[in-house]
Amino acid sequence: MKLTRFPIVQQHTRRSFMTKGLQAGLLYGIAPYVKAATPTKYRTALIGCGWWGMNILREAMAANRAKVVGLSDVYERPLLVSQDEVNQLTGDTPNIYKDYRELLKKEHPEIVIIATPDHWHALPCIDALKIGAHVYVEKPTSHTIDESRSMLHAAEAANRAVQVGLHRRIGPHHRSGMDFLRSGQVGKIGMVKMFVTGGGSGPESPSPHGKAPTGMDWDMWCGPAPLRPYCQKLTPGGWRNFLDYANGTLGDWGVHWLDQLLWWTEEKYPKNIYSTGGRPILGPAVFSNEKGSTTDAPDTQTVTYDFESFTAIWEHRKYGGSAQEKHRLGAYFYGTKGVFHMGWRDGWTFHPKDKSKQEIHEDPQFDNERDGHNITPLWKDFLDAADNGGSTVANMEVAHRSSVLPMLGMISYKLGRSIQWDGSSESFPQDSEAQALLRRNYRKPWSYPNV
Amino acid sequence: MFRGPDHNGISTETAWKKTWKESGPGKIWEAEVGIGFSSVSTADGRVFTLGNKGKKDTLFAFDAITGKQLWKHSYDSKLGAKFYEGGPGSTPTIDGDKVFILSRWGDLFCLNTKTGDIYWQRQLAEEEGLKLPDWGFNGSPLVAGNMLVLNAGGAGMAVNKNDGKTIWLSNEEEAGYSTPLPFMHDGNQYVALSSGNSFLAADLKTGKKSWEIQWPTRYGVNAADPIIAGNEVWIGSGYGKGQGLYTFEDSEAKVKWTNREMRSQQNSPVLIDDHLYGFDGDGGSRAPLKCIERSSGKVVWEADEFKYGSVAAAGGQLIIMTAQGELIIAPASPSGFQPSARSKVMDGKCWTVPVIANGLIYVRNSKGRLICLDVRS
Repeated sequence: MKLTRFPIVQQHTRRSFMTKGLQAGLLYGIAPYVKAATPTKYRTALIGCGWWGMNILREAMAANRAKVVGLSDVYERPLLVSQDEVNQLTGDTPNIYKDYRELLKKEHPEIVIIATPDHWHALPCIDALKIGAHVYVEKPTSHTIDESRSMLHAAEAANRAVQVGLHRRIGPHHRSGMDFLRSGQVGKIGMVKMFVTGGGSGPESPSPHGKAPTGMDWDMWCGPAPLRPYCQKLTPGGWRNFLDYANGTLGDWGVHWLDQLLWWTEEKYPKNIYSTGGRPILGPAVFSNEKGSTTDAPDTQTVTYDFESFTAIWEHRKYGGSAQEKHRLGAYFYGTKGVFHMGWRDGWTFHPKDKSKQEIHEDPQFDNERDGHNITPLWKDFLDAADNGGSTVANMEVAHRSSVLPMLGMISYKLGRSIQWDGSSESFPQDSEAQALLRRNYRKPWSYPNV
Repeated sequence: MFRGPDHNGISTETAWKKTWKESGPGKIWEAEVGIGFSSVSTADGRVFTLGNKGKKDTLFAFDAITGKQLWKHSYDSKLGAKFYEGGPGSTPTIDGDKVFILSRWGDLFCLNTKTGDIYWQRQLAEEEGLKLPDWGFNGSPLVAGNMLVLNAGGAGMAVNKNDGKTIWLSNEEEAGYSTPLPFMHDGNQYVALSSGNSFLAADLKTGKKSWEIQWPTRYGVNAADPIIAGNEVWIGSGYGKGQGLYTFEDSEAKVKWTNREMRSQQNSPVLIDDHLYGFDGDGGSRAPLKCIERSSGKVVWEADEFKYGSVAAAGGQLIIMTAQGELIIAPASPSGFQPSARSKVMDGKCWTVPVIANGLIYVRNSKGRLICLDVRS
């Protein structure tokens, strides 16, 4: 049975956002957003010119509201390739920069897209907001919780449009699925399980350390994070499974499904968090000059999040997938009237408790079939906010809360015990050990953001 | 060797069946050779290919007609499944009683074709301190005179084929993934190959770089072999990059045209009567089969139904293997795509170019199923 689409009801938090923005703006010394004449084309810059960064920039170019003025990457090759592609698509030849700070200074971009690894989100985002740019930054917002909070404060102070790349906030089947969940047809929901399963085998063998590729500024790549010796597992894309630079599967995939959870519930944060896991399949992480490096993110992890009115569970295992399994990733919402599954390429499906009732299903609709995403409407929503001063579906406040959840899971995982979170103050009362993991020391000369 | 004795993907065979019954061409034998993308090479009734299983690469020697395994040689080698299935990407090269193989991690072997005994072996990455490209070495060895030329070091390297000793060496940057292509210019011998950022030519005897075309490609994947005709060189790469035709003189190459009509991610097109036939696009996405006029770069026709594949040719016919395992025979003609035979002959992912030799077509998939099909007339 095909469900008729529900009309979409957007919940804007514009008012609270605006008020905070004004207050913070005054403190911060930046004028609150004043609607200027809307530019026909925004001076647009991209920081992080890899596969995903270019996916976003292509959306920006396709929307025909961008004049691409600058590209930044610590690696020369993607810079040149991306410059060439922008030229082919638009006729413009953006200037290229290995240091994003120089780009911000020289090009005065009005929109900045940030698609760097997680450890390189906070500083460029805050710097871009400081010069008054609208910012589209990739998910998760950051690598540690306090960086994300600084980004939130910077966003409130700057009062510019901010969109975080949580495209599942706007994908058609996610929106209709969310409306279905809220319609009461699943009954009262007491438990949500989010999961990603399947993948390769083990054990993982290390890759030797060596020189970074020609044209890659490795020191700048590591930036504020620890300077590890280069190994080929790190780039392109492999940094997600190195905890110095990202938060593994929980940080990458987890944030999408945890974001769906927070979209659904009216609660804003969990009280208790407990995570366990490890690398039973990939084996112990290796890091030595003789052997080189393996990744160090867990191949197996569960996190239990206690909310006031329900329990949420994250589970990933990067193996043990089954071709017979109907849903191999996504979020199950368990209710008194049945089980609702929010998926990706499998759309959403409601499995009623009652045998006599039919399953209800909706297929996904992607703007990009190959990569299965909906960046197109997410970019449009971002432009609307930049044009008109409204909020975005995945604004910094929303995305901060969603990004905190995987980071909380990782703090518990690292401590090997449960943690009690006070979401109103974003702290761990009487737990200095956990408190210390809200941030980390930056490598010099970089300073941890403190906005 | 890879792309055949003329280094162009075109076999000189003409006497073979261009059509078959609906059930497809007859399968003579099959074998499991392990994960990888290595094609086959064949000489003196033997067929060679590479695959990876259980953290080892294995070089297999089969009887070309019966498929009987004659010998095999294994060595420790990582699978290296970085965003794909992994396994070896180069094809063995045969020269008389010697067969040469280069692993993704720089293991270079010279073995006896009849017995599998090792003549000599080296570990190039460690011994010469070469930078490994992201997916390791994937170009096949080239025999030229007494030299074995390899796409390693960023601008190639050559060793003595009899003892493996280095003759010349570049060590500039990451290599590309093409197989060295020999050519003559003004009476001198050269090889053309790719780095991660360019296509270039090197003097065969000295390794001295002559012309170089800057060609930065996403992830440094310059994998398709260049195609040289006269003093013009065609180059192409995937990931949206495109193709170009350049005219070269001794140390300089000048652009004739570039466009994005042929984005050859791995396998090169074949060039027949000034027309290029190949797949435009990357594995896993829509990638049509195209006919391009080489001198102008213009699309002559396009068969839109495909999602990637590879092309060989023999006797004026294209031998096409789609990524989904369909084998197609069609005349190499600018007048259009008119297949005379097509059958699904393989399951899984087929990115490896088919090979025809003595009326037999060899195809494989990434998991290592190798089959021999009978098109003898």
